[in-house]
Amino acid sequence: MSLPEPVETMASPLRMDYTYVAGAGRTIFLRGLAERRILARRCPGCSLVYAPAPEFCSRCLRPVGPPFELPGHGEVSTFCVVSFPFPGQVYQPPYVVAQIRLDGADTRLMHLVREVAPERVRIGLRVEPVWVGDDELATSTTSIRYFRPMEPADA
Amino acid sequence: MTGPLAVIGVGQSMQAKRRTVTIGALVREAVDEALADAGLGFADIDAVVLSKTPDLFDGVMNPELYLADAMGAVGLPVTRVFTGGSVGGHAAIFGAHLVAAGLARRVLVVAYSKESEGNFTWALSRGLPFSSHLGAGAGGHFAPVIREYIRRSGAPEHIGWKVAVNHRHNAARNPYAHIRRADLTIDEVRRSPMLWDPIRYLESCPSSDGSCAIVVTGAELARRSPRPPAWIHGMAWRTETGHFAGRDEVNPRAGRDCAADAYRQAGITDPAREIDVAELYIPYSWYEPMWLENTGLAEEHDGWRLVDADRTAFGGDLPVNPSGGVLSGNPTGATGLLRFAEAALQVRGLAGEHQVPGARRAVGHAMGGASQFHALWVVGSEAPA
Amino acid sequence: MREVAVVSFAQSPCVPADREHDMAEIVQPVIRQALDACGLARDDIDFFASGSHDFYEGRTFSYIESLDAVGAWPPISESHVEMDAAWAFAEAWAWLQLGEGKTALVYGIGRSSLAADLDQVLPAQLDPYLLAPLRPHRDALAGLQAQALVDAGLTSERQLAEVVSRRRDVPIEELLAAPYVASPLRTHDVAPPGDAAAVIVLAAGDTARRLAARPAWVRGLDHRMETHYPGVRDLTCSASTRQAGERAAEMAGFSAADVEVAELHTEYSYQEPLLVTALGLKNAEVNPSGGPLAGRPATATGLIRIGEAARRIMDGTAERALAHATNGPALQHNLVCLLAGEPR
Repeated sequence: MSLPEPVETMASPLRMDYTYVAGAGRTIFLRGLAERRILARRCPGCSLVYAPAPEFCSRCLRPVGPPFELPGHGEVSTFCVVSFPFPGQVYQPPYVVAQIRLDGADTRLMHLVREVAPERVRIGLRVEPVWVGDDELATSTTSIRYFRPMEPADA
Repeated sequence: MTGPLAVIGVGQSMQAKRRTVTIGALVREAVDEALADAGLGFADIDAVVLSKTPDLFDGVMNPELYLADAMGAVGLPVTRVFTGGSVGGHAAIFGAHLVAAGLARRVLVVAYSKESEGNFTWALSRGLPFSSHLGAGAGGHFAPVIREYIRRSGAPEHIGWKVAVNHRHNAARNPYAHIRRADLTIDEVRRSPMLWDPIRYLESCPSSDGSCAIVVTGAELARRSPRPPAWIHGMAWRTETGHFAGRDEVNPRAGRDCAADAYRQAGITDPAREIDVAELYIPYSWYEPMWLENTGLAEEHDGWRLVDADRTAFGGDLPVNPSGGVLSGNPTGATGLLRFAEAALQVRGLAGEHQVPGARRAVGHAMGGASQFHALWVVGSEAPA
Repeated sequence: MREVAVVSFAQSPCVPADREHDMAEIVQPVIRQALDACGLARDDIDFFASGSHDFYEGRTFSYIESLDAVGAWPPISESHVEMDAAWAFAEAWAWLQLGEGKTALVYGIGRSSLAADLDQVLPAQLDPYLLAPLRPHRDALAGLQAQALVDAGLTSERQLAEVVSRRRDVPIEELLAAPYVASPLRTHDVAPPGDAAAVIVLAAGDTARRLAARPAWVRGLDHRMETHYPGVRDLTCSASTRQAGERAAEMAGFSAADVEVAELHTEYSYQEPLLVTALGLKNAEVNPSGGPLAGRPATATGLIRIGEAARRIMDGTAERALAHATNGPALQHNLVCLLAGEPR
């Protein structure tokens, strides 16, 4: 009697559903986005301005101050050009993902930069947010569709 | 440290995109080899430390439970460490701590990843609610940092390609490596698809199945082991928080502090001259010059010059990743331990075809998260004074 | 062994579900509380160790968020276990043995409420080829172990009800009339999952004496693993708990039989008589804190047992205490810690 063929693979799909809790600090920022406001908060200890802001300064461990609105524009601190397909992409590559330092904030926000050819994006490029229409506004960073150069000549 | 410690056994599995063995069997390959190398049986081990990256990568939760039998850990204390990609390094150091603390005489440190069991890319790029789907993938985080390094250092664009070629050529001398390309050329790297500008496909690490194991012990038992020990001259770990303004991710302070602490313990004052070979955690080619600088093996902004002058190639005076490194095999949970283990193999003179001649002192290095977690050790052929 | 003691313990209230705070927001106030209680600042801590698990948090690399609560700047010496934070405590205690530092902070967070259904999650702890595909629900293995104990005559459904009745003002007959969730276990036999964080500060030698009026000295600590497969184990005893208890006793110079207080990581009522036997507890008050049957915050639960046991020593109500922590279904992996008011 011969042995059966060895089992080489077996499918064992897992599915796990979770609730995601944004947290008190993040909630303030997200609610601001739903109103087309970029809210920052300053740490009373070290004066760092966070946007988005946690509830506690991660250096001083004390609660950060009340939220205040930033103008929304800023500059590209660093960036990369995504050139290949990856899960979850909204736009066709190549496209630019950048770390943007908003005017008035000390932290950086990661987002898309569009309305400019990728090869013309540079560190220091001045950018402003492009908000979605009223029907798409949500407590989410998707309320900002992307950032674009402030000067059309830069595009 | 209270008395010198040493690595007396190293084991690895073959790395591949997909190994058709169970997770337990993959782990067992490395464990068996490490014990055989050390001339030991399971009964000689007093404690086990397991290193593994996120459980979502293969869907096995608390794998120390399932792997108890494969690791020979039944009846032993077992700890599973996780500190991002540096976990293999953290686990090796914790294993050494158990010996130094007098809590174990011989510790088996085990590390693995079997990313083929899950969907690695999906696991890494799952978006969070209330967030834009930037679809950047793993390298999307590192590419901007590399761009900043290039801007600061003025490095020419071919440096990354050169590193990729060096590492893949090195891997051809390492029978365990996943990607072995003795024939790779700079031109082929340059022409490979761009993933995240400036990182090209052939400059990026693969996702691999693989395991690694080492045995760590104290001086008395090390001197009795059948094959030469790799003596631990210095070891350190440091973590820095990711989210604050003014953080320098190109040359993170945690990495500098970590290396400085390990060198201080080892009595090393001029690392570039006193270290013979370095196994560094380089998942994208440009991290070679960046980590050379961060770990003090090159002056700031000068790391790329060492690459350009062929000093870090296999025949150079400071070979980096003679094993082929992360670019040639990246079972993420094991990658850090592999760097630490390969450094040990070099100073033991047991690295076979990829042995760097005369290697007396070596660095093993691991990094995790967004360059937040750093671990490094210095090992040597002689016991520290 | 170097003299190391617990000098501070703090925890957040265990709630069924915290939908307001993220991980850092839950952990940070507890860290603050633990540091304030012993008069230390974050910068005075020489080593940090934490315990939590992605599969409770629902995100990969989830623990990294907790580092914001720690304020890891300037860079810190730190490590993490993807396990109950009791194992982070073990790592911190081992680290303090090295003599490289004087203080360590251990924190654990466990949020059982984020998973919509733990039956989806917990089978992943099992052999992925032979056991996980059976998808046993969350209490099934515990049910098997409890039934094995009943069949061996080592416990009874009535005894389980007595364990629960001692903590809750519900008549035994009423408890016995409730339906099974995994026979012989009923809902009240299952420690209710919840969300909480806990922090312990450890210090060595004279530093401990300076920071606490009555430090709880860690006299012994050990943990042991059993084989994974429930079909191979003798489920009616906890060999690894007994072994860990014996090893801890060798270190401590006293045993479980000598402690006045024992905090046991009982995820189910049946585990109480099982562990009492395995440890050889004699006249100890078991789970004066209420134990996990009063709230089980996943990966913080074991650390809380250590903290609660230490608290009894620090507040002077006990001279010797035992804490137990477990990892995995049906007590596969167990940790025992012996604490005392005297350092040796």
